[in-house]
Amino acid sequence: MLPPDEHLAAHRILAVTEEELQRIILNIHDGPVQKLFAALSQLNLLQAHAGRGRLLDDEWFERLNRVSNLLETSLAEIKVSLGTFRPPEFARRDIVSVIEGLIIQHEEFTGCRVDFESQGEIPRVSLAAKIALYRILQEALSNVYRHAGVERASVRLSAEGRRVRLEAADDGRGFTPPPLVGPEATERVEHIGLRGMRERVSLVGGTFAIESAPGAGTRIVVEVPADE
Amino acid sequence: MSDPTLSGPALSGRIRVALADDHELVLEGLRGLLAAEADLEVVATATDGTSLLAVIAQHQPDVAVMDLQMPMLDGASCLAEIRRQGLPVRVLVLTAFGDGESIQSALEGGADGFALKTAPPRQTIEAIRQVAHGSMVFPPAARKWLLTHKLEPGPGLSEREWEVLELVAQGLTNPQIAETLSVSENTVKFHLQNIFQKLGVSNRTEAAGFYFRVRGTRQPDNR
Repeated sequence: MLPPDEHLAAHRILAVTEEELQRIILNIHDGPVQKLFAALSQLNLLQAHAGRGRLLDDEWFERLNRVSNLLETSLAEIKVSLGTFRPPEFARRDIVSVIEGLIIQHEEFTGCRVDFESQGEIPRVSLAAKIALYRILQEALSNVYRHAGVERASVRLSAEGRRVRLEAADDGRGFTPPPLVGPEATERVEHIGLRGMRERVSLVGGTFAIESAPGAGTRIVVEVPADE
Repeated sequence: MSDPTLSGPALSGRIRVALADDHELVLEGLRGLLAAEADLEVVATATDGTSLLAVIAQHQPDVAVMDLQMPMLDGASCLAEIRRQGLPVRVLVLTAFGDGESIQSALEGGADGFALKTAPPRQTIEAIRQVAHGSMVFPPAARKWLLTHKLEPGPGLSEREWEVLELVAQGLTNPQIAETLSVSENTVKFHLQNIFQKLGVSNRTEAAGFYFRVRGTRQPDNR
């Protein structure tokens, strides 16, 4: 556990990072997306007006279609990065609602299915803990999608005394979890995500555990303190 | 449209649309695209939420297409106000953000549909048609949310009462409802009395407001 002053600083770091993200995302939103969408609207109108073989011969009409496809593809690419990085309104929503939003988004982007269960009354958690839980679950679900080889995961939120527990599990291919702390702690590039999860949790005074073995699926368990 | 043969009843089947977006470029692009569709008509545009409310009151469009991020009154507050006043308009949210929270906000606000500026504009056009015909247009992942979130406790209305309530929400008068359902006006009044009592409301506007809030939670509603 961190002493109170450092605790406060850690909370601020998490919140400020999300504010920065929000700013960057808004800049993208107010610029390129609006213009690309407007350009595509105009282009579609032009396509309809020109008609194949009417104002333009086949070759030029095909070029028009290619431009239109390029614009559509770039918008689709922006969609995923906007969605992935844009933070929800952490201050306004409770943790259950924040997680529900994340699950809708994950299912929408990946086509995977996530079963969510929230057990009983979930106590309030600090803004920083909410952010940590959100980003950790996002990473965990992304790991299931990229590595587990299954299209289904389950998420459970529960209260353990004065702590809030988040579990995410899958029945996928599993792996041998590396040590994340101590002298043997992993430095490998492919473990950056796992280390990030553990570090986020420790910043808010929580615990992080990962249970997995080849062929046995993966389960992460995160506990953070409830708000006073 | 200046062609006289296209005026009058021939036009009555058109979907009347109001567009609201603070990006002029988006408005211009969409307006042009919609003008090329025979069954759609843009009756007004607005660049902020407050103007959109005025535009809806004045022009009574079938569908309002709105961004969630707008100055003065943002889209979410504007949507809430439309539902609070029980304005008989379908609302399609059109946003640059396809993240989970944007979808949540649209659902919670009682929007009829959700379209993205990161998707091809023809999808927006198709979504306008679908919401105009009474469908809920949301990404598949939102369906679970709709099923698990009862926005209000079920008031126990009969199927017939739901039908009447829907027509009230569409702004029909009692004689019009009677004609639509092939019943007498007295029967309509009788149903209305029961509906008001069950919902705990005192007038048509409040009843319509209730209808728009809970409609999303009643799934077998697609026509």
